[in-house]
Amino acid sequence: MDEVSLLAVRHLSKSFPDLRALDDVSFDLAGGEILAVVGQNGSGKSTLVKTLAGVHEPDPGASVMVRGRELVQGSGTLEPGGLHFIHQDLGLVAMLSTIENLDLTRVQGRGRDFLPFRKRDERSRARTLISRYSAEFDVEVPIAQLSPEQRTIVAIARAMDGWRRPDEVLVLDEPTAALEGEEVERLFTAVRRAAEHGAGVIFISHRLDEVMNLAHRVLALRDGRVVADVSTSEVDHSALVRAIAGREVTIHQRVKGRQGLPVLSARGVSGGTVKSADLTLREGEIVGLYGLLGSGREHLGGLLFGAVPRSSGEIDVAGRRVDIHEPKDAIARSVAFVPSDRHRDGAVMDMSMRENLTLPMLSPLVTRAGALRSGAERAEARTWAERIELQPSNPDRQLQLFSGGNQQKVVLAMRLRTEPVVLLLDEPTQGVDVAAKAALYKLIDSATEQGASVMVSSADARELTLICDRVLVMRDGYVAAELDREHLTEEALVAGSLGLT
Amino acid sequence: MIEQVQIDRPVEDRAGRSSEPAARAPGESRARVLAALSFRNISAIYIFIGLFVIFSIWVPDTFLTWGVWRSMFATQSLNAIVAVALVLPLAAGLFDLAVGAEVGVAGVLVAWFLTKGGMPIVPAIVLTLIAGGVIGTVTGLLVVRAKIDSFIATLAMSSVLLALTDWISSSQQILGLGSSFQSIATVSFLGLTLPVWFMLALGVVVWYILERTPVGRRVYATGGNINAARLTGVRTTRVIIGTLAACGVMAASAGVLQSSTIATGDPTIGPGFLLPGFAAAFLGSTQFRGGRYNVWGTILAVYVLATGVTGLQLAGAPVWIPSLFNGVALLLAVALAKSERGARRAGAIRRTIWRGRSPSSEHPVPTSSAGA
Repeated sequence: MDEVSLLAVRHLSKSFPDLRALDDVSFDLAGGEILAVVGQNGSGKSTLVKTLAGVHEPDPGASVMVRGRELVQGSGTLEPGGLHFIHQDLGLVAMLSTIENLDLTRVQGRGRDFLPFRKRDERSRARTLISRYSAEFDVEVPIAQLSPEQRTIVAIARAMDGWRRPDEVLVLDEPTAALEGEEVERLFTAVRRAAEHGAGVIFISHRLDEVMNLAHRVLALRDGRVVADVSTSEVDHSALVRAIAGREVTIHQRVKGRQGLPVLSARGVSGGTVKSADLTLREGEIVGLYGLLGSGREHLGGLLFGAVPRSSGEIDVAGRRVDIHEPKDAIARSVAFVPSDRHRDGAVMDMSMRENLTLPMLSPLVTRAGALRSGAERAEARTWAERIELQPSNPDRQLQLFSGGNQQKVVLAMRLRTEPVVLLLDEPTQGVDVAAKAALYKLIDSATEQGASVMVSSADARELTLICDRVLVMRDGYVAAELDREHLTEEALVAGSLGLT
Repeated sequence: MIEQVQIDRPVEDRAGRSSEPAARAPGESRARVLAALSFRNISAIYIFIGLFVIFSIWVPDTFLTWGVWRSMFATQSLNAIVAVALVLPLAAGLFDLAVGAEVGVAGVLVAWFLTKGGMPIVPAIVLTLIAGGVIGTVTGLLVVRAKIDSFIATLAMSSVLLALTDWISSSQQILGLGSSFQSIATVSFLGLTLPVWFMLALGVVVWYILERTPVGRRVYATGGNINAARLTGVRTTRVIIGTLAACGVMAASAGVLQSSTIATGDPTIGPGFLLPGFAAAFLGSTQFRGGRYNVWGTILAVYVLATGVTGLQLAGAPVWIPSLFNGVALLLAVALAKSERGARRAGAIRRTIWRGRSPSSEHPVPTSSAGA
């Protein structure tokens, strides 16, 4: 690339007191190009975005140029402008309407900040903006009332609004983390359209498959360094995984365990998006649960656990009818549940790993005087930290300071420590890197060896084909199909979820 | 870890010593001790030392007399009891804005029991404490069953209790409580009055429960993330009702002691306890535990503020100075804690305040920083 590229990043480093988060990162981005940035949690992806967005100040010596114009200012921070961002959580204000959210980033003329909005103009402008993405919805209701897909469109429309020229730079920071199949496609279409008009796109993602489909080039980061910068047509999946992980991560196909006795059986359970579901989980097996968003897949685990209100149906655990209304009823029957959103529901992020680990079951650690035996608790925390290969291996560290993969290992360990008979997992590997996934699968596997029966609900068909003995496919609130080991393929799962069998 | 901090030791001579018997690298334990003794962790102690030195030089004749300190300990003990009472609901993520009104209603209630009710002292006090527990329980039920945000439920409860206070007392001071009741607050052991000892005992009990028992762990978990706590089997409704009820009982005890101190059931004293209590609990949360509401940080905060105010009064400052000092001190302490990288030390305050605004999520959707 000898001519001036759209975005040229040179020698970009960012040091924190205890860590060099970015180490001499250089890359180019041409107009019309989609560049995927991949890497494990803690590899420097987020730091890269935040530095480009001007949140972090780069170390001296860096250069970031847009069309040959230097963005790094004297003080070191990046001048805003020229780059457009869609952040991980879309960066929308839930309580404000579409119109108001679109307004947030609009540059008003000087002195115009206190002039009233022209309501009708605003409304028609908002409608026009979203109609570019072939969408039509009420732009005056709060964002919170929109579907995730509609919210994504608002975020895209906002990021691409007010461009002075078609070839600007759009940065998307893991925009698909909270999205499912079709919504992801919709987002990709919008991104491709922007690139076709000449925009340069930086797309940051965990999901390797989608990156290969979308991007022209892949930039892999590891420990803050660029370890690969290659065209997607030249790289294969396993080579990319090697580059990211720094070693070969193999996820072994699960060897079918022995078929034990039924441990949990449910008949006609309904609630949430589940209309009526029957299922049986046997001792020592891993049962997958697949389906589109809204198929009931996302609520079945919570329903069996009592976290989602159940309107009808019966649940037997270990052959005895149980009355599960609240999580504690399920916990009393040795049923454990790992919710999909670890920040919101999974763990107390500002308590330490040790305090989280023991929270679900404190009774074995209590002295006769009612106090906690802190020595025993510390010892147990160290044992578990070793077992789950916690990095860094300090159980007294606040959970929020760990990487996503390590947090998720702790969330799972909290449940495994209670030696559950039934383990219900909702998206157990969402938003974690390849190495952490392998470790999580190993932990899940070890639970079945101790006789637990496991149900894994996931949007990742590939994951289910790798780790499950059989998979239930949900559609429209019912269990529509069951695929056993011999018939378990990604294609069959997707076809089943769409009703194309 | 509060248990590793020796509150009143000087800095340098402990720096190299390991504070924990466990097999840790000496460098790590040294770093831990240094961190425990850092200005950020125990700023209130350094501020106390600073204030002490300043006023010892400025007004040595009065500031350095035991009588001044004795009276400061006594008058502030009730504020400290209320602040400790607030630590429990705050740790569970709840505001109890009714705490001042709870003190007020208990103050006239015990006086009413003693005079109009003609009761002996012990049953009058026990009934008042029970009433405090009932008020807290009702508030808890409003939060749990009616699902009213604690900020609003306790604000409303506060108004109801003020009405109740005026109704019981007919908006008059209740006099003639008897000399033996009066002696409760004035009797002293080892140079300190009973309320001071009671406050310290209460501090030990609440500290033990919060820091050393499963109950305390569940309280902090509920305050930290109520969804996660519920999904790991913590009975969060019990935690909410329990902490508010306990807060009510402790506030009632402060009300009883207040009436004993002034030998009057005064219907107007309650609301004055609200702000100092919250100020101390907020300030306390920036001490020792790095962003967790905790008992010793809170008690320390009460007395550091009182030291400053007492010193200023002795130096002849005008009457409006104490309020100004308290307000500025709270702002400075929290701002200092927030300026720290990561701002975790002020985390407890941010979390409690956010909880009321976005009930669905611990992580509110942040506004965009898009650079368009």
